[in-house]
Amino acid sequence: MSACSSPVPMPLPGDVPVDIRDVVTMVAPMPGFEACRQFVVAVNPELAPFTALSGLDESKPAFLAVDPRLVLHGYDASLDETARRQLGAAPDDALLWLALVRAAGDQTLVNLRAPIVINPQQMRGVQLVPPDSPYSTDHPLFLD
Amino acid sequence: MLVISRKRDEVIVIGDKIRIRVLRVGAEGVRLGVMAPPDLSVHRQEIYDLIVAANRSAASARGDLNSIASRLRQQATRSPAPQPQA
Repeated sequence: MSACSSPVPMPLPGDVPVDIRDVVTMVAPMPGFEACRQFVVAVNPELAPFTALSGLDESKPAFLAVDPRLVLHGYDASLDETARRQLGAAPDDALLWLALVRAAGDQTLVNLRAPIVINPQQMRGVQLVPPDSPYSTDHPLFLD
Repeated sequence: MLVISRKRDEVIVIGDKIRIRVLRVGAEGVRLGVMAPPDLSVHRQEIYDLIVAANRSAASARGDLNSIASRLRQQATRSPAPQPQA
């Protein structure tokens, strides 16, 4: 059994100073990181506008993410019924939307195609992998 | 690999919860209907592989996140570079 499948003990998220810390359980495997089902979500001013996601398994994958609605005006942040049910989210619940960012050469790219959606009330998350999407996995990020 | 021949409207059952029906067979390809519990995700492999590659390239060692955040911020605030070809 991997460290990821057991909720305790909870390792600290390395050197990331954490102001808000919570463990989110992914309700479906994250592609490429199927074994890691628990992530610490860290929001702090040093990371802004990014949010850190640190996986709690042996491989300790860590990600930076940004709200896709800040990246692309009019981004369609709507959930299908299946995902809503998986997250235990009521229609009016405020959800956290996080698109993973990465460096590619001298650019910063955002994966708008497969955002991670978290229901903070339930601390459940899922990475959406829609069969069709108008959004790119490699959207260039420009900050003001 | 198990190889099974199926005609239109015939079904394969996997376990007791997954059914795959052949909806249409044509020169362009095969159209399948997949019935699976909602907690099981079903993807086209090429889409899944695309997200695997994007996720893997976004992963980093967790101790570096602050420096990576500042680097990504710097890159993203430079004057816009030409858009990559789709």
